[in-house]
Amino acid sequence: MKKRRAGYAVWLLLAAGLYFFENNTGTRVVLLCAVLLPLIPPLRAAFFSPDGPAGEDAAVSLTAGTFERTEQEETGDIRPYIPGDPVRRIHWKLSAKKDELLVRETAAGTEEAEKQVTISEHGRQKKTGRRAAAVCAAGILLCAALLLLTPEARHGAQALCNRLFAASEAVNRYTYVRFAVPEGQDILPAVILLGCIFALLTGIALALRSRLMVFGIMAGCTIFQVYFGLAFPTWINIPLYSLFALRMLRRPVRRKDLTACCALILLVTLLVAAFLPGSDTTTETASEEVRDRLAQITEQITGTAAEAPAGETETRHLHTRSLENGEGEAETGQEFRLVTAEEEQISMPHWVDWVKMILLLILSVMVVALPFAPFLLLNKRKKEAAENRKAFESDDTGIAVQAIFRQVILWFEAVNAGAGNVLFRNWAAALPEDLPEGYAERFARCAEDCEEALYSSHPMPEEKRRDAIKLLKETETALWKKSNRRQRFYLKYWMCLTE
Amino acid sequence: MREELENVIREVEKVIAGKREAIEKILTALLADGHILLDDVPGVGKTTLAVALSRAVGLSFRRVQFTPDVLPSDLTGFSMYQKAGEALVYQPGILNGTNLLLGDEINRASSKTQSALLEAMEERQATVDGKTYRMEEPFLVIATENSVGTAGTQVLPYAQMDRFLVRLSLGYPDYEAQMTMLRDRQGVNPLDEVRCVMTKEELTGMQREVRAVSAKDVILDYITRLTMASREHEAVEVGISPRGALFIDRMAKARAFLEGRDYVTGADVQAVFRDVCAHRVLLKEAGDSVGRVLDELLKKTENPDRRGLFAGMKKA
Repeated sequence: MKKRRAGYAVWLLLAAGLYFFENNTGTRVVLLCAVLLPLIPPLRAAFFSPDGPAGEDAAVSLTAGTFERTEQEETGDIRPYIPGDPVRRIHWKLSAKKDELLVRETAAGTEEAEKQVTISEHGRQKKTGRRAAAVCAAGILLCAALLLLTPEARHGAQALCNRLFAASEAVNRYTYVRFAVPEGQDILPAVILLGCIFALLTGIALALRSRLMVFGIMAGCTIFQVYFGLAFPTWINIPLYSLFALRMLRRPVRRKDLTACCALILLVTLLVAAFLPGSDTTTETASEEVRDRLAQITEQITGTAAEAPAGETETRHLHTRSLENGEGEAETGQEFRLVTAEEEQISMPHWVDWVKMILLLILSVMVVALPFAPFLLLNKRKKEAAENRKAFESDDTGIAVQAIFRQVILWFEAVNAGAGNVLFRNWAAALPEDLPEGYAERFARCAEDCEEALYSSHPMPEEKRRDAIKLLKETETALWKKSNRRQRFYLKYWMCLTE
Repeated sequence: MREELENVIREVEKVIAGKREAIEKILTALLADGHILLDDVPGVGKTTLAVALSRAVGLSFRRVQFTPDVLPSDLTGFSMYQKAGEALVYQPGILNGTNLLLGDEINRASSKTQSALLEAMEERQATVDGKTYRMEEPFLVIATENSVGTAGTQVLPYAQMDRFLVRLSLGYPDYEAQMTMLRDRQGVNPLDEVRCVMTKEELTGMQREVRAVSAKDVILDYITRLTMASREHEAVEVGISPRGALFIDRMAKARAFLEGRDYVTGADVQAVFRDVCAHRVLLKEAGDSVGRVLDELLKKTENPDRRGLFAGMKKA
């Protein structure tokens, strides 16, 4: 609680320092945010109440799950087993190794001690983090010592400062007292050392993951801006300090707090930009400058328009003149174009006529051949059917059975009595009911024969062929009787199933 | 139907009445040398069926009740240090020397145990401490899964389900069957009356014969078209794998053999298709029924009878 208030005080101090140093839009936003954000009641809690019970630290230590026992227990005294010792305390692994019963002795000898969990995964992480931070800090000290103690580096740093002072003087109205540094001093070692220090600082920030580090960065930025009189641009300052504000929020950060905070910062930025934009003089000169620049640009643009290439303008002029005075001329032009089109049509090449003639010829041949076409087609079907019928007498009984059964199936499908995409052995159940007695069984038997012929590679007995022929004859008579005139026509002339 | 197999079915039917179809399917899977996943409610006689089958065929039978703390070493065996000989001695596990293993509630086993079992099923061997132990021939695993009360279970991953040849379900007996069962149990335990009518060696011989059953290209084409159609079906997320296609072929062969034929017909494929593929198809929507999709596939894909018959027309 106290820590957070102290954090807030630092934040306010930094914002105020920045504002009094340079009064522009960015610093105004930063100060207003620092003052306003904690004043909004719902956000006040997010800024001042302590981190939640399920805060980051607690959450990690709970989810880590791998608790380690105390070291003291690991290296606890081991002594031989004395009758009466609790069996639970026998160190089985060691006992197996040493071939005698050994007992672990814990300090308090209580169950509590056994269960004690001290170092959680997170704790260990924190520990290593601290160690890394300590190493980084040592490095910083070393670098700082080098920077201060070696004359080269010290003079380099001073020269760097002088340069920054010069930069600041160019912007601001005040003059700085420079360091006395020999001219042409090499600043490279100083820059390297400062870079090292900065990198190590970042290392500490990453290792500790602490809020304090963010304070440090903010403070560093503010001090830099104030000391050298070199303000960061507004668009850097606002996000930088907003980040700081967000970092101040209670952890775990709730989405609600985060959005409220961001929205407020955005709102403040917009309001300041609209109603309190920076210090008066600067904005005025800025707007003046912008106006000048704009005027210059427009002048340039109009200038280039006037200085267009000479030839082009002339042609354009010509065009406009012709449009203004030469309406009659345009009409004649159109007429001329029409005349040429007619001429073109008249003088078209003769190949079109050839195409027409060829087409006519093909058409007439087709008309002549049309009456014969059905006969040609039917003849083909007839031939196919005859071939199928010829297969009935094939030497291979299997092929014959297949051909005959195929004929049966075609018969059924021709009169729309088929069962569709169903295995033929299952057709028997779906056949029409008005077929002769026992037909379905014979059909099923024949379907099985056909299956055998289709899927097996061994030869089939001759009587299967006879059975199949009998079935086909029966089918023909039954279905012919059943079918109407249209179906009969179809059967006879299209399917060619009858002889 | 083969005489010996008919005998086996008759012996098993002494114990489980009215479940001829399920027994036939299990026997078919046994002939196809594949493993069975029984998805059923408790108490319909899964264990009894397995015991009866193992007695009728003369197989050595063992049963594991899977719980989360059954370990892989319980199945495959492990090496134990023996002080006397100063050596590691291999202690055989449940799988060693077993022909028929009934794994009850396989979905309650931890995933490592499941994987040990499934590896043994696939490779028919177990490796412990670098030494490989072959499983007894024949080796059949009947794993069960309860369709009710799946809380706290380790669902079999899709990839592991794929290794089972078939997924079957016994279901409740009808009135007649249950009456018969109750009547039979009045006196002696019918399990004691099951005679051994076939030997292990005969069974392995039959398994070899099953592999020799011929499947014409029409059949293979049908299986391929079915599986590919399953992958393109709009309600299906993951269709039937190539392994699934292989299993359809194997199971169809075994069925043809069971029916006493040495060639596979389209009817064989259609008969085994649902049992082999129901657990291999992953649907897009949870509420959809796999059975419906499979039926649709069978209906839409042109059957091999027709295709074969009319393809021959052009040749003839």
